[in-house]
Amino acid sequence: MTFTRFFLRRMMMVIPLLVGIVFGTFMLIRVGGLDPVGLLAGPTATAEEFDIIRAELGLDQPLWAQFGIYIGNVLQGDLGESWLSTRPVLDDMLDRVPVTLELLLWGVGIGAIIGIPIGLKAAFKPDGTFDHVSRFFSLFGFSIPTYWLGLMMLFVFFYLLRWAPPGIGRIGLMVSQPPEVTGTYLMDSLIAGDWTAFRSALSHLILPVTCIAVIAAAPIIKHTRAIAIEVISSDAVRYAKASGLPTLTVRRMVLRNAATPVLTFVGTELTGLVGTTSLIEYVFAWGGLGQYGLNAIINGDFTAVQGYVLFLALFSIFVFLIIDFVVFLIEPRAELQ
Amino acid sequence: MNLLQVRDLETHFISRDIDNRVRIAHALNGITFDVEEGEILGIVGETGAGKSLTAQSVVGLLRPPARIVGGQVRFEGRDLLTMSEDDLNAIRGNDIAMVVQNPRTSLDPLSRIGDQLIRIRRAHSESSEAEARSRAVEMMTAVGIPDPELRLSAWPHELSGGMAQRVLIAMALMNEPKLLIADEPTTGLDVTVQAQILELLRDLVTRMNMGAIIITHDLGVVANFCDRMAVMFAGGIVETGTVGDVFENPAHPYTSNLVDATPERLKIGRKAVFGGAPPDLYNLPDGCHHRDRCRFAREECSTPPPLREVGLKHVARCHFAGELPETAQ
Amino acid sequence: MPSETTSMALREVTAEPEFSLWQRIIGLTRRSPTAAVGLGIILFFGMLALMAQYLMPHEPELVYAERVLHPPSSEHLFGTDGNGMDIFSRVIYGARFGFGIAIPAVVLALVIGIPVGLWTGYRGGMVDEALMRFFDGLRVFPSIILALAVVAATGQSLINVVIVLGVLDSPVFARVVRSEVLALRSSVFVESAIAAGNPTWRILFIHLLPNAIQGAMAQTAVRAAWAVRISATLAFLGIGIQAPTPEWGAMIRQGAEFMISGQWWVALFPGVALILLVLGLNMFGDGMQEILNPRSRAEK
Ligand SMILES: Nc1ncnc2c1ncn2[C@@H]1O[C@H](COP(=O)(O)OP(=O)(O)O)[C@@H](O)[C@H]1O
Ligand code: SF4
Ligand SMILES: [Mg+2]
Repeated sequence: MTFTRFFLRRMMMVIPLLVGIVFGTFMLIRVGGLDPVGLLAGPTATAEEFDIIRAELGLDQPLWAQFGIYIGNVLQGDLGESWLSTRPVLDDMLDRVPVTLELLLWGVGIGAIIGIPIGLKAAFKPDGTFDHVSRFFSLFGFSIPTYWLGLMMLFVFFYLLRWAPPGIGRIGLMVSQPPEVTGTYLMDSLIAGDWTAFRSALSHLILPVTCIAVIAAAPIIKHTRAIAIEVISSDAVRYAKASGLPTLTVRRMVLRNAATPVLTFVGTELTGLVGTTSLIEYVFAWGGLGQYGLNAIINGDFTAVQGYVLFLALFSIFVFLIIDFVVFLIEPRAELQ
Repeated sequence: MNLLQVRDLETHFISRDIDNRVRIAHALNGITFDVEEGEILGIVGETGAGKSLTAQSVVGLLRPPARIVGGQVRFEGRDLLTMSEDDLNAIRGNDIAMVVQNPRTSLDPLSRIGDQLIRIRRAHSESSEAEARSRAVEMMTAVGIPDPELRLSAWPHELSGGMAQRVLIAMALMNEPKLLIADEPTTGLDVTVQAQILELLRDLVTRMNMGAIIITHDLGVVANFCDRMAVMFAGGIVETGTVGDVFENPAHPYTSNLVDATPERLKIGRKAVFGGAPPDLYNLPDGCHHRDRCRFAREECSTPPPLREVGLKHVARCHFAGELPETAQ
Repeated sequence: MPSETTSMALREVTAEPEFSLWQRIIGLTRRSPTAAVGLGIILFFGMLALMAQYLMPHEPELVYAERVLHPPSSEHLFGTDGNGMDIFSRVIYGARFGFGIAIPAVVLALVIGIPVGLWTGYRGGMVDEALMRFFDGLRVFPSIILALAVVAATGQSLINVVIVLGVLDSPVFARVVRSEVLALRSSVFVESAIAAGNPTWRILFIHLLPNAIQGAMAQTAVRAAWAVRISATLAFLGIGIQAPTPEWGAMIRQGAEFMISGQWWVALFPGVALILLVLGLNMFGDGMQEILNPRSRAEK
């Protein structure tokens, strides 16, 4: 199967999902007992003012017509206006994407770099001491509340040791921000060659990234181990062993065969950990998309909530598509699936 | 000369249930047989008798909870079960080659066929890439794979079951093994290919003085291609002897049933046809394991039957081996 | 004749060996220390929740105005919070919220998920296909965010939190039950039950359910852990449960601001309690899954 056909088929599968997601986010604020009109109009509004706002929002139309309008708007990139920031939700979010991606990618990346070798090592000697320790660590990572871990880190590394900056923002208050290129201070300061800014940005990154990495590593360890054990006990690997192939060859075969499922899992982690990242942003006042979304949820800014949820769903689909393509490229069996 | 001697081999599935009680499935209970150079031993028996497990125990293919709990497997006089991993790896895939029952899942899904053939050749001999490649083509031609050159670059998932079967046989022959163990090597192949492959095996055995074990539930294969046969039932070998002796004078009631009841195509069905289900491996009956299904069962049968010699190298595990009434039907 | 086969086959599948609870607990401890420790932690918190009145030295919402933010002392073992309430008592009381939310949420998820899984697995077809697609679709939303957004959108009461968590969690159970039903659907005992003329509901709930439920049961502890975590997260964000309710997440929220000014005890203790309970549930669930996995039952 050619790449184009593969691509087209994937796209065909994504479209109904997209429609479903848009419908889901559309319904999100309509099923609830909330009255966006009341929120917008305020307590002192008159009945006419209510009607005007209702008409402005299209709420005087039947539900399906509202959905039509909503889809039309979404397709034009109009996700409505946030009443907290009084700016278009899409603009608000696009500004914040790189800021969040910076945390998420570093966190999951480091989590994977730590977690995958641990999971593999545990799988090669199941029930050894290392396996038990790593299993406990992984269970612990599953159980620790993200935000609490962030708070504890702040207490230890900022309050007690003074190694880390206070958990507010992404760069020191006294440090001038580097000119914007990528939207992340770390990259931008590198590009600008501004070492003070770079150091400050880096020091602000360390704690939140560590938190995310710890929480990302737990499921990565667990799944890598399970995948590798599955591969090791597969017919193919046992047959290779029984054919007297050198241990190194067999081990390489195990790694190759585990690579695709592990990679796929790390990819899904990327989407699953958006929630964790949001909480970490909230604790560290990071000011990215995650914090924006949580604030919208907390403050009942429903246009923004809607946009945020839609955005996350699109992000997930995007990541899943990328995983599919990578798998297609590295895996000879992909066309079977 | 004796190539392989298996003595009192016992393989059990040992696990624990939810209440932490140990449960043991007595899957192989004292398997004893020999394979000589230049002969083919056929192992027959119904599904679940333990044929594959015997082969897997010999080459170390078991996976938990299966475990060898007793006995010896001597290859050219050395016990494979107590040998170091390195010594073992020098032998298996090289002197002992195995064709497993599930060829499609046993090939490395992420390596091309050719690479796998070459890999196994080079793991055991000092041959160059090119040399190994030409040997691979040769072997693939020998097992009747069309367009061998082209197939070298095929992926395992592109092969049909029968083709994968043949690739596995080619792989087993890459290093000119002294002993070849083939677990149902011709199931899934059509009759002509089947005959072709068995002829090839037969020819290799004669020409290179190789020893071979063919596991099958096709008595026709045994009758036409094997020198000696072993009949398995419920994890034990109930009768061994030359093919001629066993077919003409079956000494064990199970064998005689088998030989009588397996007509033209000589295939043992998937279901146990003779008198119901096989015994529960977790609770084997005392004495003869065949008791519940045996037409001749008597009081003596509640004690374990001995191996009785009924002819030259023709033995059966039955109290009344060789004394069974001929006419009993 | 068919009914006879049915009962025989059924006895074979559902027959339990003689069994005593005590023996099973001992067995559990030996088979999986992880599960045993987890169970111990769960029981400990269960006891805290049940006997909170007797164990709390102070009323959980009683304000000692003159003792705001006192560090741990013999009078206030875990110190006092920004309102001058006794953190030790509040942590004990908080166990009630952990169980009070997790148990009904998981029960709700089971009540929804199991019938759905049974039915779709048994019937297959379009509905099954559509539902599985729908469940797949749900995966594109990070679970925390989805739960937060739905609770926020549907109104922030405790009962709403329970309902939302239960509903969002039900696909997990539907999936495991469905996959077991798929494996059992063509087995002898189901076919003979159909041949014997049993109505569908009987086949689903009398014949399939007992054999298909093991996987779901093994998931309950892990899902309960999820429910405890998410409900605490909601409270931490001030959604659903509000301060000064003695709920752990809400208490951590109160303590957050004091973390960088050094009053660590306000957020530390409720967090430790939360971790322990979630860890206990996860350990128990992980151990149970291991025990139920035939591959790991090999005797070493
Ligand atoms: N994990 C297991 N636990 C218990 N018994 C098993 C397990 N796996 C296989 N068996 C039993 O081992 C026996 C031997 O199987 P096998 O050697 O594959 O039979 P054959 O190749 O003769 O058909 C079978 O009766 C099977 O039921
Ligand atoms: S020992 Fe008895 S039961 Fe066993 S095969 Fe011989 S006659 Fe039958
Ligand atoms: Mg077999």
